[in-house]
Amino acid sequence: MLVPAIWIAALTYASELTLLSMGFTLTYLTAKVPNFAHGTYAGIGIYVSYTFSKILGFSPYLGFPLSFIIGGLISILIYLLVIGVLQRLGGGAIVLTISTLAIQIFLAGATNIYAFWLRAKYNTYAQLFLLKDADFKVGGFPGIFIVSVGLTSACVLVLHYMLTRTRIGIAMRATAEDSELASVLGININQIQIFSWFLTGGMACLAGSMIPMWFMSTPTTGAAMITPIMAGSLLGGFENVYGAVIGGIVVGVSEIMLTTWGSALLGSWVGEYRPLVPMLFLVAVLLIEPRGLQGAWERMVASDTGQSILKSLGLLKEGPVT
Amino acid sequence: MIQEIAVGLLTSGVAVEGSSRLIVDIAMYFGLFVIVAMALNFQYGNAGIPNMGCAVQVIIGGFTVSAITVRLILTLAGNAGVDVLPWRSDYDWVYNSPRNVDIVNSWLSGEPLFGISMLLFTLAVSLILGAIIGWLISLPAIRLRATYLMIVLITMADASQIFGRNVVWISGGTLGIFVPDIFKWYPGDRTIVMAIITLLIGLVSFFIFRTMLNSPYGRLMRAIRENEVTVGSVGKNVVGIRRNILMFASGITAISGSMLAFYFSYVVEANYQRALWTYWPWLMLILGGPGNNAGTFLGCALVIAMRRIIIVQKWFLQKVFFFPVAYFEQILLGVLLVAVIIFRPNGLIPEKLLYVPGVNYSKLVKERVEVDWRAAPRTRGSSSGIKGIASLLSGGKKEEEEE
Repeated sequence: MLVPAIWIAALTYASELTLLSMGFTLTYLTAKVPNFAHGTYAGIGIYVSYTFSKILGFSPYLGFPLSFIIGGLISILIYLLVIGVLQRLGGGAIVLTISTLAIQIFLAGATNIYAFWLRAKYNTYAQLFLLKDADFKVGGFPGIFIVSVGLTSACVLVLHYMLTRTRIGIAMRATAEDSELASVLGININQIQIFSWFLTGGMACLAGSMIPMWFMSTPTTGAAMITPIMAGSLLGGFENVYGAVIGGIVVGVSEIMLTTWGSALLGSWVGEYRPLVPMLFLVAVLLIEPRGLQGAWERMVASDTGQSILKSLGLLKEGPVT
Repeated sequence: MIQEIAVGLLTSGVAVEGSSRLIVDIAMYFGLFVIVAMALNFQYGNAGIPNMGCAVQVIIGGFTVSAITVRLILTLAGNAGVDVLPWRSDYDWVYNSPRNVDIVNSWLSGEPLFGISMLLFTLAVSLILGAIIGWLISLPAIRLRATYLMIVLITMADASQIFGRNVVWISGGTLGIFVPDIFKWYPGDRTIVMAIITLLIGLVSFFIFRTMLNSPYGRLMRAIRENEVTVGSVGKNVVGIRRNILMFASGITAISGSMLAFYFSYVVEANYQRALWTYWPWLMLILGGPGNNAGTFLGCALVIAMRRIIIVQKWFLQKVFFFPVAYFEQILLGVLLVAVIIFRPNGLIPEKLLYVPGVNYSKLVKERVEVDWRAAPRTRGSSSGIKGIASLLSGGKKEEEEE
């Protein structure tokens, strides 16, 4: 095998995390709320995969489109029933965040109950599982590696095309910039919000349905993903979708590789501290540059030495910098 | 009659059973959670710091008992000539923990003064350690936006649990550490003493919080909550005041964790889950009404009674459900939080104006001041003059449309 298994794991995880971080950032941009329930959508995706594979007997890959739609619909429901109502009532950032926490608790409970329902109804153990057996292999690579990296790249490209070339994407960006001004220009804010919540929920659920193909999954796996998701998003600048792509890859790869290298160097006890890696990223970013890579880039562009470095690298076009 | 029952409970030499057991349990949990919820009210309801990391501070209280008090008791007992089993290595620390507690307990039954001094020592240490943790939390997060603060605090709660699970010398890892019974000298049921002491601590902290709130410092806190830019512009150190509030409230919260450890006679990180010690106190705060200690008491009593009844009626619920009742509680918590936020934003008892000696608000403020904490982080309609000051003091939100 050309690529070591640990790198395959790291890249698979990083691509799933990128998908999640991107959606998280998009929600923050359009709805101005850090959605703590974002990781729990992934937990729902995990159980869509499980249901398709173990209960219905299909390949879990067939469940991906359905998982996208289910995640999107749940996300729309959350917007219509809770977030939208609170925004209309004039809710500020704190109350919206608390309500997303409440939704997270609710969805985590519902996922757990579904797992127990599967056990009661079909007599299968759905509390801890792995769907590696259902995977296929292409040229020595596990299928999920190709599928996850490919799907994430496709999502990034489609999102980029949508945000820069299509009407609805530009309307989304306008809503993110200034929703009142956008509505003056004739953009239906509510529809744009619903579309963006559908998109982010769908992407998160899709990412979640890829998790059990390589990683051990429990009903709480999705909820525990929220820290890496936020670390990735924060590293990218919290308000920049492209930054979230970089942040998701960096946090995902370093979470797995740092733990692996640490275990090899210091002993197996390092593995227990794996959840601390994204937390370290969070704290480090907040202490050094709260606006993440975006802030660092802007600071570099604004300073003279940074400009000369960028010009020597050929990254900066000549002319006035805005 | 109540007096007779109380006297009977206090003097009976046997363990409490049945419904009296339930009453003691509810009183204990009420005392523990009311401390956490009141500290939270002090931080969020009055100063506008959204502390989502109560669990960190509570777990510090628990770790104080297991890592410091238990070690101290074992050392002092060893010095006093008690044959304690070896406990200094990690393995002995966990493996000999239950037997050591048995040995030390029989010694403690003749040492009332030692037990009480250990309790006071633990309370003092957890107060100090909690304050240190509050200071640590404030370092990266207090200058940041409220959202970032919440994110950091939530992850810190998880991190502290990971440390508790893996660093054996703190609280015995996943197996936990048993705590000697410092009320062994008491002839009756020690849980009653524990409950009374916890309720007393809650009462004392209530009076401290109330005094602070009715002092000029309390009005400063509310002013920071309403508009920190204004407060900063008149020469007040906003960051410093926030840090002090966070440190003080963290210390009080840590006491609750210590009392829980003594009540269970056992410390394990799983007892200090983020969901239990952060989200439930937040529900109590929001249900009762933020910015109002009476509301916090009411919300706490309602939520605790509901939870205890669910747990006591578990055998019945378990027949109906195919899943553990814990998940039903999660669903209930989520639905209740959202419902309260949407339908009853001011809580059961809305916030009142602060008491200022010599000032009659009803003469100053002609209009009815609407309080809607849901819009908290927005800059509220800042009008000048008495109206603006009154809205600063009261936390009132005046709609722009009204003017």
